[in-house]
Amino acid sequence: MKKKILIIDDEPDVITYLTAVLTSNGYKTFAVSDAKDAMESVKKVKPDLICLDIVMPRETGISFYSKLREDKKYGNIPVIIISGVVETGNFDFHSYVADDKLPLPESYMEKPIDVDNLIKTIEDLTGKIVLN
Amino acid sequence: MSRINKPPDAIYKELFQQVPYNVAVIDRDFNIVEANQNFRDYFGRWRNKKCYSVYKKLDKPCKHCPAMEVFKKKQSVVFDAVGIDQHGRNTHYVAQVFPLKTGNRGKIDYLMEMSHTVTETDRWQQEYQILFDRVPCYITVIGEDYRIVRANEAFRENFGDVLGQHCYKVYKRRNTKCPNCPAEKTFKDGKVHHSTQQGIGKTGQKIHYAVSTSALMRDSDRVAHVIEISDDITAIRKLEQDVIEAERLAAVGQTVAGLAHSIKNILMGLEGGKYIVSLGLKKNDKEQINQGWDMLERNFDKTTSLVKDFLSFSKGRLPELVIINPADLVYEIVDLYKDIAAQSGIELKCEVSSKIKSAPLDRDGIHTCLTNLVSNAIDACLMSDKKGTEVVISLTERRDKLIFEVSDNGAGIDYEIKKKIFTTFFTTKGGEGTGLGLLTTRKIVKEHGGNIKVISQKGKGARFRMEFPRKRLASLFKQSKEKE
Repeated sequence: MKKKILIIDDEPDVITYLTAVLTSNGYKTFAVSDAKDAMESVKKVKPDLICLDIVMPRETGISFYSKLREDKKYGNIPVIIISGVVETGNFDFHSYVADDKLPLPESYMEKPIDVDNLIKTIEDLTGKIVLN
Repeated sequence: MSRINKPPDAIYKELFQQVPYNVAVIDRDFNIVEANQNFRDYFGRWRNKKCYSVYKKLDKPCKHCPAMEVFKKKQSVVFDAVGIDQHGRNTHYVAQVFPLKTGNRGKIDYLMEMSHTVTETDRWQQEYQILFDRVPCYITVIGEDYRIVRANEAFRENFGDVLGQHCYKVYKRRNTKCPNCPAEKTFKDGKVHHSTQQGIGKTGQKIHYAVSTSALMRDSDRVAHVIEISDDITAIRKLEQDVIEAERLAAVGQTVAGLAHSIKNILMGLEGGKYIVSLGLKKNDKEQINQGWDMLERNFDKTTSLVKDFLSFSKGRLPELVIINPADLVYEIVDLYKDIAAQSGIELKCEVSSKIKSAPLDRDGIHTCLTNLVSNAIDACLMSDKKGTEVVISLTERRDKLIFEVSDNGAGIDYEIKKKIFTTFFTTKGGEGTGLGLLTTRKIVKEHGGNIKVISQKGKGARFRMEFPRKRLASLFKQSKEKE
């Protein structure tokens, strides 16, 4: 069965891009452009991994992330933060959050993404998929 | 008629003892032949002693003996001297010596020396002198003709030897009185006045000083002398300017970081477009090729508008300050946005305090700031699900700061965004914004030496406050005038 990935980003172009990258690498994707509706999507889709943007209009990715980690059932889903404010290899997650105890996301990536690195990270986090 | 009897001699003896001076009678051979109790208490035993040994604990007459002078001239003299009291302590005393005519034909055999110790007064005077000279500020005393009567050491070091010269000449190399002279006010009303001034030191260096003037001496109803105490604030002024400059540079740095962020987002779109076009080409999927091509086009357009915004953002380094009425700007903005807001069902209110005085501001700059904040506030109201949303623009003045506020009761801002809002090209408006609005606003406010803050709670609206300290505006205005 294909692994499910939920993309949360308010930029339609980013959704299109990530969807194209992920589907052509054998993943099933779902997208939501508003972090406010994202928790609902998580419950519905039950994704294996989430690609999360930080800056979104009605609710930030960080707010959603805090809520997700608090959730007993879905709190352990791996999250890759993909954002323009992130600098690969130099990202202080806790400088963005009010709660210092919030666990770190599994990975973070700078926009524009390095496709190979993204796929490898997703494979590491969800297990490798053998394409037919 | 009753006759007045001469008082008995006992009274004179009592007077001699009780008079509050140290009294001694001295003969031509420097012997003390009589002295009162005060003298005994002060200088110690005197019987069978010479005056110089009692007054000064010397074994021969003083070099300049005032007693000899009195014997010679037969006139009284007043002098001051330093002696040694009975406990061996130095004592400063003032004495009057006068001849005692006891014999016939005006021959003088004795003289009387009445002395009074001034050690305390003298010490106070010395302390006062040291204080006057050594306090780390400039002190001058000026007369009604604005000539300097006294100047302390710090003043003389920085302005040279200035006694008798006009203060305005010395402080500022002027030939006429300075406008807004605090000393003039003190001469008029006798009260303390303060002001900050810029002067020229003896080597031509600029000196900034904060001066306060007070009436030193009152001659019946008028002030005859004014004491000017000035504090050299040149270093503080320099620091203030450095801080403004550092903030300006920091704003530039953050702008560059912000620009990088904005470009990263566009690059993501371009990369995406490229990826999808190549996928489409590989699969010969025309629809996918078109989708990718659209993405490429859209993000190229974004680059163009970013560059445009960025150019307007970088335009002009120093604000062009002109004295304007800040309230007028607020009314203009209200006029500009009234209809737009009303069409969206948002009420636009304005609260302007009646006490606002004019201020040096960059008219276009502040106009841009208010435009950005008001249009953001309207957007925030549109984004909210609430009914009866409003945007309030207010202008007040507190603690010598001009304060513009734009508040709304719309969507409010998240903690995470608040932290980044002014530092990067943050946009929460999806593809529409370039994220430059607030950054531009911040830049303009900083260039005015001001500060911008945001107070917001998610879901409860936001309040943006721009504060402009009047002192900083004045100093920037002065700088810009000097450059002209």
